[in-house]
Amino acid sequence: MTTFILRRLASLLPMLLAVTLLVFGLMSLAPGDFLTPVKAQRDINPALIAELQKSFGLDRPWYEQYALWLGNVLHLDFGYSWTYKVPVAQLIAQRAPATILLSLTSLLLAWTLAIPLAVLAAARPGGWIDRATSAAAYFALAIPEFFLALLAVWMAARTGWFPIGGLTSLDHDFLSPSARVLDIAYHLILPTLVLGLGGVAGTLRVLRANVLDVLQAEYITAARAKGLSEKVVLFRHVLRNALNPLLSTIGYALAGLLSGSLLVENVMNYPGLGRLVYEAFIREDQFVVLGSVVVGCSLLIIGNLISDLALAWSDPRVRYGR
Amino acid sequence: MPRHSLLFLAILPLLGAACAPKIKEARESNPLPAGVDTAQNEIGRRGGVFIDSTPGEPSTFNPLVSEDATSSGFISLFLDSLVRNNAVTQEVEPGLATRWEIAPDHKTFTFHLRPGVCWSDGHPFSADDVVFTFQAIYDTRYPNRAAFDLSVDGKKFTVEKIDDLTVRLTTPEIYAPFLETVGGVGLLPRHELEPAFRDGSLLKAWNVSIAQKEPRRLLATGAFRLRSYQPAERIVFEANPHYWRADSQGVRLPYVDYLVTKLVKDANASTLAFATGQTDAEGLSPDNVAWIDRYAKRYGFSVFNRGPSPNTGFIWFNQNPGRDTSGKPFVPPHKLAWFTDRRFRQAISHGIDRDGLVRGVLFGRGQPLWGPETPANKKWYNPNVTQYPYDPARSRALLAQAGFQMGSDQKLRDRAGNVVEFTLNTNQENQLRANMATAFKENMRDLGITVNLSFLDFGTLVGKIQDSYDYEAGMLGLTGGGDPAGGISVFSSKGRLHQWHPNQKTPATPWEARIDQLMSDQLHTLDYPTRKKYFDEVQKIMSDETPYIYLVTANAYVGLKDRWKNIRIPPLGSLVWNLDELWTPLLTP
Repeated sequence: MTTFILRRLASLLPMLLAVTLLVFGLMSLAPGDFLTPVKAQRDINPALIAELQKSFGLDRPWYEQYALWLGNVLHLDFGYSWTYKVPVAQLIAQRAPATILLSLTSLLLAWTLAIPLAVLAAARPGGWIDRATSAAAYFALAIPEFFLALLAVWMAARTGWFPIGGLTSLDHDFLSPSARVLDIAYHLILPTLVLGLGGVAGTLRVLRANVLDVLQAEYITAARAKGLSEKVVLFRHVLRNALNPLLSTIGYALAGLLSGSLLVENVMNYPGLGRLVYEAFIREDQFVVLGSVVVGCSLLIIGNLISDLALAWSDPRVRYGR
Repeated sequence: MPRHSLLFLAILPLLGAACAPKIKEARESNPLPAGVDTAQNEIGRRGGVFIDSTPGEPSTFNPLVSEDATSSGFISLFLDSLVRNNAVTQEVEPGLATRWEIAPDHKTFTFHLRPGVCWSDGHPFSADDVVFTFQAIYDTRYPNRAAFDLSVDGKKFTVEKIDDLTVRLTTPEIYAPFLETVGGVGLLPRHELEPAFRDGSLLKAWNVSIAQKEPRRLLATGAFRLRSYQPAERIVFEANPHYWRADSQGVRLPYVDYLVTKLVKDANASTLAFATGQTDAEGLSPDNVAWIDRYAKRYGFSVFNRGPSPNTGFIWFNQNPGRDTSGKPFVPPHKLAWFTDRRFRQAISHGIDRDGLVRGVLFGRGQPLWGPETPANKKWYNPNVTQYPYDPARSRALLAQAGFQMGSDQKLRDRAGNVVEFTLNTNQENQLRANMATAFKENMRDLGITVNLSFLDFGTLVGKIQDSYDYEAGMLGLTGGGDPAGGISVFSSKGRLHQWHPNQKTPATPWEARIDQLMSDQLHTLDYPTRKKYFDEVQKIMSDETPYIYLVTANAYVGLKDRWKNIRIPPLGSLVWNLDELWTPLLTP
């Protein structure tokens, strides 16, 4: 088991190397650099531009810049943001909580809605619950997230029922602690719905198929023959076995914690990592981009590892070589 | 479960209502400084929250690091300077210095500081802070923009402390925009920043992370001090309890208690926030005025026309005779011959229907532009430049003089029989500019000239213009306004933004040599009429020779909630430049 974990973690290194190299190469191919907007201002002295270029290392070829960055990363220094003059790790830590919060609430929404609905739908295939959830799920899957986000913003602006973006109200600083929690909850509703709806639909479809599979199994017939109530059969025996494949999607969910909400955050003015990364891309603030790519990749691999382990733990048939 | 969440949804609007702003905190009270500045405004009443929004994010709160207008705008709210620029009169007024003397050599300036002024932590402000600020700016460990603005031909100013309330600044040569430049330098607190200055970390001081965690460490002399900063959400400033201005009844300014700036994603989001009544003030682009005006009554705001903006828009031809590293000329020689012919450029200029551009692209909200400054720059604008009204017949005559002939196929050809055709590059992000390029193409077709349009990413365009020079014509805009010294990189033939032929070692033409001379002369006298005369001539030459074919300037519009009093709208710059004097009888928005 330990060797398995170590081997998986070791595979992180070549992957990170390849991905960062690719991102760095692509960014250097893109026209312009971080100093382009500065160059277009009329009252900036060329000597200052030259000095900045030197201090950022932009006067060197890209592979040299990459090697320098890599050397620093070995000392766990991910560089600093040119825009904010703050270490990248600090900047990501500053923005990450809002994104993690949103990802968790939407994951929670997806699972709490999808699991009972899937079981109920599969219990009577072709029944009205099944048909209604299928239709709704196809509908939800067909609408792109960013479009749903636009619709939500439009609805909020039209009705005034919800805030038009952000995570807190203008007077948040002046509220009592309990009012602050309510304020944040109120602001989270729309983004959670937008981000979670796709998840509900996806989970629902996968889980329904699994439940249907398990229902065919002989041990279910045995359970029914024993005279167990349909409720116990469905939620104790069927669901527990049907959930196994879902565990393997936890990995992707974890990777999505930081990256999944990029579009939604930008459309809905949500103050998370998505906006930071997007702006960093636009400004070519390269260490921030690289830092977020490293975090995203690591999360994906670690998440997959965790779901493999969870699967082994929950399903005795799955065992990894020692 | 579903029923429960429905119920939750139903009570939400009530929750929202419960969160309506009810901000009430007692303001800290301190004695007024001995040298208090008494504002000559209408007496107002304290209280209220001014809300605005800005696209993007401040990148720092450290003036030595700031290179963008957003960051500099926030910094100027809490850091004051020796003098301040009155945005309405465009004159220099006393700031942290009450008065100053200029020695007969026109190089030595003695500033007398305002007695009794304190930083927002109560520590007295003195000449040491001024000396420290310049020391920090000139330190080579900290490359910054101000170091270049505050030097003449690479030579620094000298700064000496005479006593606690007197400093003397000396420039190496006579330096015309001295007072304006010094007016832009926010003075730094020595007692707070000296440790960082000593250990080499000054550029990391007052960064966004510190602003978020310890906002009070950003000491203020300005009307406001930082209260809190939430990245990507908002910045809250509160009245500085040690501010050095008061009204005529001795009430310390500013009147408003808080200044809240929402940080939004882009200009559209910012405009939308204003149009839906969420913010108090917003600069509006001409194409947005009509629909926003429809909401004016509902949300209690008015839209004001500030007149012409300081933004110029122009087309130019690449006149660079150089070759790239492989020996290929940047511009094909026969085209270079057209582009360097003044008659060709003038003919193009006469062929542009600027009134049509104003009507069609700016919805009538703008005016034709003939020279490098717009009327917004009251102090320096020269109205008597050469104009090129729409006149295709005159264009054809000029082209014929220059040896061009219209063929039977309605295509213009030069003497050697080359068809006149060029590619105009502009950036794709600016919709108004793209529309103008299309209209220009139509105008040129009437003259028999084929224009190909190329819409590029801004970075690519700047690369072509400043590094690779492999293009024929470009269309861009520059923000003018302010002192002529700000335009040296454009007008001087050595300049980096002398776009038609940048970074020349010696001027390529006699008129460029003349402009170089004038730009240098105007920089070395303090006498405004003389400087104006020189700069008027620069504007005249630019219009005669038309290296830049100026197009139109859009009017600037601002929207402002009606509840604010003491508003004085300046032609240039921030709408609420006198934020310390604003007050409102209606405390809730």
